[in-house]
Amino acid sequence: MSASLKPTAPAERAGQQPTIAYDGVVKRFGSLTVLNGVSAEVYKGEVVCLIGPSGSGKSTLLRCTNGLETVDGGRVLFDGGVVPSDQELIRRVRQRMGMVFQNFELFPHMTALDNITVGPTTILGEKAASARERGLALLDKVGLRQKADAFPSALSGGQQQRVAIARALAMNPEVMLFDEPTSALDPETIGEVLNVMKRLADEGMTMLVVTHEMTFARRVADRVLVFDHGRIVEAGPPEQIFENPQQERTRDFLGHLGWNG
Amino acid sequence: MNLDWGIIWQYRWDLAHGVGITVALTVLTMLIAVPGGIAIMMLRQSRYRVLRGLGTAYVEFFRNVPLILLVYWAFYVLPILTDIQFSAFTTGLVALSLNVSAYNAETIRAGIASIRKGQLEAALAMGMSHSQAMRKVLIPQALRRILPVLASTWVSLFKDTSLVSVIAVGDLAHTALQIRSQTFRVLEMLTAMAAIYWALGYPQAKLVDWIHRKYGVTE
Repeated sequence: MSASLKPTAPAERAGQQPTIAYDGVVKRFGSLTVLNGVSAEVYKGEVVCLIGPSGSGKSTLLRCTNGLETVDGGRVLFDGGVVPSDQELIRRVRQRMGMVFQNFELFPHMTALDNITVGPTTILGEKAASARERGLALLDKVGLRQKADAFPSALSGGQQQRVAIARALAMNPEVMLFDEPTSALDPETIGEVLNVMKRLADEGMTMLVVTHEMTFARRVADRVLVFDHGRIVEAGPPEQIFENPQQERTRDFLGHLGWNG
Repeated sequence: MNLDWGIIWQYRWDLAHGVGITVALTVLTMLIAVPGGIAIMMLRQSRYRVLRGLGTAYVEFFRNVPLILLVYWAFYVLPILTDIQFSAFTTGLVALSLNVSAYNAETIRAGIASIRKGQLEAALAMGMSHSQAMRKVLIPQALRRILPVLASTWVSLFKDTSLVSVIAVGDLAHTALQIRSQTFRVLEMLTAMAAIYWALGYPQAKLVDWIHRKYGVTE
């Protein structure tokens, strides 16, 4: 599927409210400024990949989106409202955003299925039987129905990450945040996770993906944001970023990765 | 020396009754002190400074007071303060629970601190409240991790229940010491007491080790 078939450029979205908007976001850890005035918009159904060197602020921006980090300046908007810092208010935002972590963070004392149902039953008060049925369907979707009763320790990294994706989807999120979802995986299991993500993108899920998988960004992203030293140095459709980068920093970064188009 | 081991057999039912009281005290104390420890640990992590201070004060006070003093205090002072006269058994139970809750609070706190930050973040990112994350994600993992420590606490507690004999709770220690003073069979009764405590304590420690192997969390 060619990315150019999707509506991509923000100009085509004129008048539409972005699902997520970053407005001059600043984040400091002590004396280190990790995000230095980042502004960007993400529209419904878009897949936006965040790339750039380690420590450039892309994961921090993702974590500011659902309040795992609080911002020191500027603001993050979700669905038109400022993402609150109050611990009770932010829960409602988090329930509408799924997050997938680099280290999976499955709950090791629960089976794969229980990992998926614990959110809906605990947070949304869904009945156990209905959560179980949906949980099995989600496991089916990520190709792991036969592992419903397996504990995370019995699953490979790729399988754990697929369960983690199913767990996030169980809350019926409007947005999925992926924080380097394949960085902790063995090379042979990266593909199965990326395939699940690609299918999600094809279904129209709004996705923010921090990744070092340039091939995935090239094939699946609608837009790519290139980070360096806490700023977005270039943003555009993957064709521009990977084939005709406008900025020296983008060329440098891709050059270091051995990317040659 | 003239030893009469028959004395132990002769008083077997009294000793068995004492064992029953000792076991009951241990089990009931732990049933109170595990939830109690969790509650005090939660106090110590409260976002309100007053509650945090209360939790810390509790732990620091009850961990650093000799248990025997606590037993005497609960027996002589608590009734004056509260105007309620507990039975000797209940008084002993209160003193032991106050003490063991403080230890458990610290153990559970350490267990939770040992769980990596990403687990809490994963729970919060779903939309769980802090207390839901505690209940569903952190505490169950922490309890599994600290099982060996709780096991040592359990075995210590089993032996420490002997301290309530000073307020005449009819536990194993009190019963054995009573028989000793009535029969003057000091060596036999103290030996029997040691043998019974050991014979009961050792399998408990082994049982908890086994539970740990079976239910421990593997990552």
